[in-house]
Amino acid sequence: MKKKWLKLRHGRRVSQVLCFVLFLFLFVKTDYSGSNELPYAVNILFRIDPFLALSASLATRTLLAIMWPSLVFIGLTFILGRFFCGWICPMGSLLDSFHRFAPHAGEGRVSSLHTLKYYLLVFMLVAAFFGLPAAGYIDPFSILVRGLALSLYPALNVLATSFFTFTYQEMPGWINTLTEPVYAILKASILPFRQNHYELAFFSLFILAAIFLMERLQRRFFCRNLCPVGAVYAFTSRFSLLRGKGGTKCGKCRNCMDICRMGAIDEERNISPLDCNLCMDCVDLCPGSKISFSFTQKGVEQPAFALSRRTFLSSLAVGAALPFFLDTRTMAKRPDPYLVRPPGALPEDEFLGRCVRCGECMKVCIGNALQPAFLSAGLAGMFSPRLQARTGYCEFNCTLCGQVCPTGALQELTLARKHTAKIGNVFFDKNRCLPYAKGIPCIVCEEHCPTPDKAIQFREAQVLNSMGEKVAVKQPYVIDERCIGCGICETKCPLPGNSAVRLTSAGEHRDPRNALPTQSLPY
Amino acid sequence: MDRRNFMKQVLLWSAGISSTIPNFRIGPELLAAEKKSPVVSHAKDKNYYALVARVLEPLGGINKFVTTGDRVVIKPNMAWDRSPDQAANTHPLVVKALVEQSLEAGAKTVMVFDRTCNEERRCYVNSGIQQTLESIKDKRLKFYHPDSRKFVPVNIERGKAVNRLEIYRDALEADTYINVPVAKHHGLSKLTLGLKNSMGVLGGNRGSMHHNLGQKLADLATVIRPKLTVVDATRILLRNGPQGGNLDDVKILDTLIASADAVACDAFATTLFNMEPDEIASTVAAYNMGLGEMRLDRMKIIQA
Repeated sequence: MKKKWLKLRHGRRVSQVLCFVLFLFLFVKTDYSGSNELPYAVNILFRIDPFLALSASLATRTLLAIMWPSLVFIGLTFILGRFFCGWICPMGSLLDSFHRFAPHAGEGRVSSLHTLKYYLLVFMLVAAFFGLPAAGYIDPFSILVRGLALSLYPALNVLATSFFTFTYQEMPGWINTLTEPVYAILKASILPFRQNHYELAFFSLFILAAIFLMERLQRRFFCRNLCPVGAVYAFTSRFSLLRGKGGTKCGKCRNCMDICRMGAIDEERNISPLDCNLCMDCVDLCPGSKISFSFTQKGVEQPAFALSRRTFLSSLAVGAALPFFLDTRTMAKRPDPYLVRPPGALPEDEFLGRCVRCGECMKVCIGNALQPAFLSAGLAGMFSPRLQARTGYCEFNCTLCGQVCPTGALQELTLARKHTAKIGNVFFDKNRCLPYAKGIPCIVCEEHCPTPDKAIQFREAQVLNSMGEKVAVKQPYVIDERCIGCGICETKCPLPGNSAVRLTSAGEHRDPRNALPTQSLPY
Repeated sequence: MDRRNFMKQVLLWSAGISSTIPNFRIGPELLAAEKKSPVVSHAKDKNYYALVARVLEPLGGINKFVTTGDRVVIKPNMAWDRSPDQAANTHPLVVKALVEQSLEAGAKTVMVFDRTCNEERRCYVNSGIQQTLESIKDKRLKFYHPDSRKFVPVNIERGKAVNRLEIYRDALEADTYINVPVAKHHGLSKLTLGLKNSMGVLGGNRGSMHHNLGQKLADLATVIRPKLTVVDATRILLRNGPQGGNLDDVKILDTLIASADAVACDAFATTLFNMEPDEIASTVAAYNMGLGEMRLDRMKIIQA
């Protein structure tokens, strides 16, 4: 019997490693790969997340069909308990492997904070329902992928590039014959195609790092006390069929309590299915081999959530009340004009309701155009994607962001629809634009404008340049009906600092209140 | 490390680094050489692949330009995320034929690259050039994306509008540089031809080239001197250039133009658009700097 479980414990480790490798593989593959259609379901981690499915469904008050894979894992949890947390979750696997570097963490023993995750979950879901969607703040996968995509992965590239630039520029030729092939292999396999730059890079890293620092307080601190996905699974594993059974009259060793990474074993050696993630350490390491897992429920204590009614009601009340303060902000009356959402974005309220801040669209954006918003969409909209055209532009023939969005906050557009989906409009600043302000020829913007009939046109004009000479220049202007707001003109404007042509959300199709002035009907 | 030693190290290292900045210069004796009237060859055929050999014939064939052991750069225009029929990029078959002929002529390596305007990988794929060149199974062919480490600052000694540019190292070090532009409309310069195509080897902020584009392209042409220019006019873009996107703006000509004289090639290609060579500022500027011929009556124009 013991031997069999020993295999299972190692099986758990193998499963953790495999799932993590798969996670990293899909993360790296969240990129253009020679065709506009992604060959892998790179967003699957978010689509199996029941917490995000619940939150986005409540926020939009519709059942999101795209999130159906989460039901599979809910179903499995009814049978197996929180196996996901122990066997699959990439965040959990990372925390487990980090454990040896945080040796002072207290272990075992039931955590006094372990009910916090339930209150958090209730608050999050109720707030989402009433219009404050903040699931992405605390969801472990959102935190993990954002930390990787916005910070660690670009940093890896900085590291590799600076090293190989150093060897290339400073080292003798024979070293380069060794290093250059290595660099080529790295570039072809794990390194990103280009160096991306992100807003909130440090912030995303800090949030991720905080979860690891909390390991010093307690092993799997986040999983035990905070994780809302774990909380959802705890609710369902209350009914799970597979239960661990500890030895009740087994002596005083309490080894199992000490080694339990989830603090799921109490003084009477009852194993709570609410917290147990089936890591199987206790089975394997019990000196008396008294612990086993089985589908028979006989003699197994039924777990209790031990929630305090007062705190539960408070989190419910706060969740219900807080959203009503959103409309007191100026942005309810006057949204940030530079907040341009990616093509296919739903109207703002629905968009924020569905957006789980996973960072997938920012990772996949081949123009490095999508950036996490800081406060431009309000505190509640932090980390939601915005197109920041001075950093990068929306590629005319690309629809990748809509393909990776796990919740449909960005709708998947056909190329034909994408070509006409207006997400904003550009405006020229004639005080800075060279042909207007200085009489210097330029129109780089017109050259790059991608619509088949160019939205940026120019007029020949005679102007005085800074030397007082009369010169003929081509002065650009925008035809609003053609401009789709891709922002390439702002990206490519050769002026230092701010561009002389700026993208705003004016005229975006998803918000009729944002319509541009016209003199006649457009049709 | 003491102060003296430190200072010594600093001086030595900075001297070493600054001496590695290459300095390309074209001697006046070379420029003053007697100018013969340049041969400009043009040919028309539906078979673009065969057309390349034909248009090169009056110039002496590829062997006149590529000799055994040469490092060859073939620089097509693949700047835009557009398909071959949209006429924004050089036709893949033209590139393929030039690559294969250079390999047959005994080139040591044939390098094909462009610094694109749209996303690099999309341009390489959707121009059709990537798939076409993948069919050539020869290790000497290097088809790659420019490596940002390899742009080197170059002093443009004869520059009138620009005196320093970042240029891709492989383009500078090539034994034979073959320029393969596509002929098309351009808002600012009216047309983009061979001289404009050379911008694809520039690093840095290329937009500033647009401020006095004609002269700056001529300045660039003093250091990027193709041994051979093949203008792809199999399809030309008449409006909404340089990227087009609308097939109504494309005109099928099935024509290639080739010359060893980059300026003459551009000047003759201008006539395909019913324009005169002196309407293109870069052609005029390059001619005035003695970089080539622009007067059609001084060229030997041969229909192959």
